[in-house]
Amino acid sequence: MSDPVSELNRLQRWMQSVITHPDGVAAGIDSDSARQHIDVQRSAVEEVISRSQALDSIERLHVYGNAYYARLIECMGGEFPATHAALGEEAFSGFVMGFLQVSPSTSYTLGELGRAFPEYLASSRPPREIDGPDWADFLIELATLERTYSDVFDGPGEERITLMQADDLLSIPPESWGDARLQTAASLRLLTFQFPVQEYAASIRKQEEATIPQSAETRLAISRRDYIVRRRPLAPLPYALLRQLQQGATLGAAIETAVSNAETDVDMSTFAARLQEWFRSWTGDGYFVGVDLESDQSVTK
Amino acid sequence: MVTARLGHPHLGLGVGLRSVHYPHILKEHPEVDWFEIISENYMDSQGRPRYVLEQIAERYPIVMHGVSLSIGSTDPLNHEYLHKLKTLGASVHAHWISDHLCWTGVAGRNTHDLLPVPLTEETLRHVVDRIRVVQDVLERPFVLENPSSYVTFACSEMPEWEFISRMAEEADCGLLLDVNNVYVSSVNHDFDPIEYVENVPHERIVQCHLAGHTNCGTHLIDTHDGHVIDPVWELYRRAHQLTGGMSTLLEWDARIPEFPVVHAEVLKAKQHISDELESPQGTPRPEAAKRSHAEDDVDNHISEPVVPHPAVLVAAEVE
Repeated sequence: MSDPVSELNRLQRWMQSVITHPDGVAAGIDSDSARQHIDVQRSAVEEVISRSQALDSIERLHVYGNAYYARLIECMGGEFPATHAALGEEAFSGFVMGFLQVSPSTSYTLGELGRAFPEYLASSRPPREIDGPDWADFLIELATLERTYSDVFDGPGEERITLMQADDLLSIPPESWGDARLQTAASLRLLTFQFPVQEYAASIRKQEEATIPQSAETRLAISRRDYIVRRRPLAPLPYALLRQLQQGATLGAAIETAVSNAETDVDMSTFAARLQEWFRSWTGDGYFVGVDLESDQSVTK
Repeated sequence: MVTARLGHPHLGLGVGLRSVHYPHILKEHPEVDWFEIISENYMDSQGRPRYVLEQIAERYPIVMHGVSLSIGSTDPLNHEYLHKLKTLGASVHAHWISDHLCWTGVAGRNTHDLLPVPLTEETLRHVVDRIRVVQDVLERPFVLENPSSYVTFACSEMPEWEFISRMAEEADCGLLLDVNNVYVSSVNHDFDPIEYVENVPHERIVQCHLAGHTNCGTHLIDTHDGHVIDPVWELYRRAHQLTGGMSTLLEWDARIPEFPVVHAEVLKAKQHISDELESPQGTPRPEAAKRSHAEDDVDNHISEPVVPHPAVLVAAEVE
């Protein structure tokens, strides 16, 4: 006597192979991946799927086959609206279909579906034909930005805790400043791009006319405040400093590393004032949640 | 003796919570009896969706409705998923947790579709066993919905109404009767929707779903993108009469209009209930539900492919 669950299992594996086949359900029925579970010819598929008064078995399976890709392409378009707009409907759908062949969903949530899409675009990019950033780089960076927006939007945030304010930083004793380690917000992401992709993405989200921008080194701090994703372009020096702080460097070490690695000379006569300005802006944006002092006087807001 | 709705409360007329309506609901606090959430949109959320849900749960009764349990799959149940469902249920004081009689994938994959099961004795045993496990884990009332479907299996041994009736009895779970799904499947599979509604165990029907669908001429697709059509209202009237009343919810998932339009659609149920109560001996008019779908408007304006529910993703909000 056959194992009933195995019968059900075979039927499910067959049907999944058929309706997710990229060339359609007829090709799916003929595919090895389906026939290893149920070896049935197209002409005999009624032995598995009954026909209705209006549709034959293959036409009925088409409903699921069409829906599988259409649904997931629609969801990916919702998560990557700017990438969708930049590529156009046909090319975007083609990339998503290719992506689903190598990264089919294995999660209960559609929120995970697009996680590996930027990496897929990077792995399938065409050979470079020009020196410097090209169209493919722009698309990969745009998808990276949009996936980051998703992660920051629904990931951990700081709305339920009291963030550090500028005055809290000023209350740190001067002798402790150098060794203090600022705790950065969990939502904070620091990303560099070769294109100002955030400007293009913003135009698309506002349903404005958008043109592909010229390449330009772009450094972004992306964070969440009041449950909305925010992004702030940064100049190289403050970006480097913030990155050092996010990686756990002390304030003294972070400043020293950022300044010594700067590609242009840093005007030290105005540096202290600029530091103050940056930290005022960053605390306003909620980038810091507390500070660890070397003397073990941890201050967590 | 089994009591009506398995003893669960009659929550009234509710609306499926969708992110496009967050601002309206938070600002206007509309007089909706209750909300149903898509569980998967909130169980992992640490952002705005969860924050909004917490505020709404303070004012309104909440029911959780899932699309990824995959109760019919031959893959193992995902216990991490079940525990997250349980945690969310406790957090929002969900009156019950529902999902669909379906499978969503196998071999570790999720198609994110609600795929039909073959209606066999073997499938029945498989599903009943898994419902018992789910109920043990959730420790909260569990309810399963009849799905819309577009294929039937040659190996099926019984009608769907018999399968879900025996499933509910043997697993001792509740039923979510989606009368739009009954209608859609009845057209697609050439069965009598009235017979279906009349033969399911009415005391186990805890909740009802209403929705719109798309008429493709040769078949119907459950798109949740429009108004409820008259034959579906007729099924609702009949179900209401047979159950004595059940928590009723409208789903609208594509081309979603402003909240008042969605709310007004479910409020039409009041008129249907009232008409049914006022008609002689409460006699329903089921013949309308049995009329050919060819008499209804074919949605020729819809471009293919028409995507059945579900496709619910909460997109990021960026400044």
